[in-house]
Amino acid sequence: MAELDFERRLERLFAELPELPDAVAFAERVERRLDRGWTARRWLIGAAGVVGGVIGASQLMVSNVFQRVETAEDSARFLSTSVSHLSTSADWMAALTSGGAVVWVAAGLAVIMMGFVLTRVIGEI
Amino acid sequence: MPGSGHSRFASLHDVELCAYSATGERRAFGELVRRHGSAVRGVLRRMGAQGAEADDVAQDAFLTAFERIAEFRGEGTFAAWVKKIAARLYLRRLQRDRKLGALTAEAIEDEPETPRGDADAAIDLEEALKVLSATERLCVTMCFGAGLSHTEAAEALNLPLGTVKSHVKRGLEKLRARLAPEDGAVLEGRRGNG
Repeated sequence: MAELDFERRLERLFAELPELPDAVAFAERVERRLDRGWTARRWLIGAAGVVGGVIGASQLMVSNVFQRVETAEDSARFLSTSVSHLSTSADWMAALTSGGAVVWVAAGLAVIMMGFVLTRVIGEI
Repeated sequence: MPGSGHSRFASLHDVELCAYSATGERRAFGELVRRHGSAVRGVLRRMGAQGAEADDVAQDAFLTAFERIAEFRGEGTFAAWVKKIAARLYLRRLQRDRKLGALTAEAIEDEPETPRGDADAAIDLEEALKVLSATERLCVTMCFGAGLSHTEAAEALNLPLGTVKSHVKRGLEKLRARLAPEDGAVLEGRRGNG
């Protein structure tokens, strides 16, 4: 019993630690290290994004994507002309496909979606 | 700027601060460090870490705690959780610096003399711990200060469970002789009668 009492007393003694005089300074040092880590992480993500963007842009240039888009525009125009010849009642489809706007709208939506996904991923990290 | 937003979190409970910290709120975690930093540093000093070393390990322990805050389920107190992390980090540092083996090998033969305490004198724990050998101090502080079980301490120290229990027992006897000599006399009397 005396042993148990002593062990409880010892636990209390261990728990009674006086606040050190530089407690606030210590906490600020830890906060600074946290901030530094956070800033470094953001720079890393940003740098990775820039590198990824540059690689992506160069790949687009290499693969002649603009030429392909022009071809797709021509195809869309040809399709809309063909469809308007087939049926005069399909005016709405011609409006939709005119000038290859669909291609550009789809590309824009894809970019917005990718931006959204990227934002979520960065948020999760 | 560190320290700003301090007042916003000062009134919150540890559990709420942990919840904020889990969302990445660093100022909330800073408030936890302000509250429990001294306790964590104190445990490390009692384990035998010197001032600057104790502070380094304590900082690392808090950074680790921030990274792993989602793992903290609130089953014990936040302070106890960080103390355990700090104790393990300190042991890892000792192992890395190859000091742990030397400390545990020194153990039994090379024990310091245990002076008898004066019941009337106000002897604090810090002074009492000085009469323990390095291993005994580590074991007792890990179990009573950092809240590790004997098994956890044995695993962290890489020592057999029985050895850790022996160190704790011997350490407690020395502390009792120092902090509560009257209890020791009672125990001796009981042993003599039994």
